[in-house]
Amino acid sequence: MVLLECDNVTKNFGALSAVHTVSFALNRGEALGMIGPNGAGKSTLFNCIIGLYRPTQGRIVFNGRDVTGMKPHQICRLGMAKTSQTVEPFRAMTVFENVLVAALHGGQMRMAEAARETAEVLEFVGLEDQSDKLSGDISVPARRRLELAKALATRAQVLLLDENMAGLNPNEIDEALDLLRKIRESGKSMIVVEHIMRAVMGIADRIVVLNYGAKIAEGKPSEVVNDPQVVEAYLGSKGVSLAHESDGRGND
Amino acid sequence: MPMLTPSEFTLRVAGGVLLWIGMAGCWNIMSGYTGYIDFGPVVYFGLGSYATAIAMTKYGLPFVPSALLSGVVAALVALPIGIPTLHLKGAYFAIATFAFAETMKQVCLEFDRTFGVSFFEGSHGITLPISGHDNTFFFYCLLPVTLAVLLVHYGIERSKFGYGLKAIHEAESAAEIAGVNTTGIKLRAYVTSAFFLGIFGGIEAYWITYITPDSAFNVHNTVQMVIMTLLGGMGTLLGPIVGAALLTIIYEVLGTAFVEYYLVMVGVIIIAIILVMPRGIVGTLKERMGLRFI
Repeated sequence: MVLLECDNVTKNFGALSAVHTVSFALNRGEALGMIGPNGAGKSTLFNCIIGLYRPTQGRIVFNGRDVTGMKPHQICRLGMAKTSQTVEPFRAMTVFENVLVAALHGGQMRMAEAARETAEVLEFVGLEDQSDKLSGDISVPARRRLELAKALATRAQVLLLDENMAGLNPNEIDEALDLLRKIRESGKSMIVVEHIMRAVMGIADRIVVLNYGAKIAEGKPSEVVNDPQVVEAYLGSKGVSLAHESDGRGND
Repeated sequence: MPMLTPSEFTLRVAGGVLLWIGMAGCWNIMSGYTGYIDFGPVVYFGLGSYATAIAMTKYGLPFVPSALLSGVVAALVALPIGIPTLHLKGAYFAIATFAFAETMKQVCLEFDRTFGVSFFEGSHGITLPISGHDNTFFFYCLLPVTLAVLLVHYGIERSKFGYGLKAIHEAESAAEIAGVNTTGIKLRAYVTSAFFLGIFGGIEAYWITYITPDSAFNVHNTVQMVIMTLLGGMGTLLGPIVGAALLTIIYEVLGTAFVEYYLVMVGVIIIAIILVMPRGIVGTLKERMGLRFI
């Protein structure tokens, strides 16, 4: 069953079309990978879905409801949460308070319930022993987990993960993948934008490929990586199969 | 000049301290917690002064309802002003709020001449009914309002509203995607702050009995609110109390002892404190001692 649908979404910045008539659907319980070279429009598309940008054209339908042009906090409260590529914790707050903000506002819970939810989420992502630290003082992998915790605390059904594994080493990526699988098992749907092929391959049921703002391929991971157009977008026309490019490095 | 008995003098100073704690607190609710530097809060103080003056002199309303009405008037003006200006960031917000305060001053100055009416009384100002009340009366008028402002602070420290304000201060777009209705929360803080400033304006007008556009909308009042809060510590519960009390008392003590150059001395003291404690007295202590909710 379709949970989120993007219908011909276009976002122009002046003369530049950052996202151009992109359509795709996310099914309930699905993990959709989204890949594409730098500047392909992945983050712009996320920002359109989450309400930070208003699409120039096209519709975004979530749970049967047209959410195009809604404010970010409204979309969040309806059940979609994003983790940012550039982690922006509320630095002067503790890890606990960061997640509490999301539970109180995004999850619209009362204080006592929000505090309970926060404690549970922190334990779920494995940050319970750092909950009293200032969020500006924790390590990069911990900050990535904190972003996830904030998204989870809103009780969103759909998580949009924008390069949540950037800057992690191979071991940390494995741990992050385990966590994502655990989140999926809890019934969430997700869209995973990631440069690290191994990470996308490890979690996605289907993959959408963007290049220069347009969708160039969509399908099962094994099909997509052998698609000539995708290979060309990533590696140039003489490229080899992407399936071999599976070290843990992102390209930014 | 009536002779001031020592206790009358003390009460006058105490009233001044209360007034400034409350006004600095109003600025702190909006700017201290969200980081949006409002450089025109005096506009709501001035509107409150005029609302009380006009209600009492033109409509014969008693003082207490006039002062409360002043709060409502200020809040009602803050609502349509807040909606467009709170979308502005940083210096642009500061400039817009400053410009609005200056605009209202000009409106009060020129309105009557322009429309041939007798309402704001232009540069002549308005003389309020002489109250006959002593400083004790005004002390007890200010006390509940200042306590209410501090109660709002206390509420902010551990509430959903307060966490929203602080999240906006830290990272506004991250707050938005975490579900914080940033515009709504900023507007609530702005209108709350304007409401209390309006009441303070009303009380002060009745206390000093004579207002002009220049006195009621004096940018000096804005500067005082900002400096007191910065000195005490922005976005802290005790900051406005410490900053306002300290500065008001310094003004009184040095102003009496060194009439000629006390302002220079106050300036030096402010600079010295800010150099040693860049996040204000309370803010810096909080940081160094690892305290959170003060």
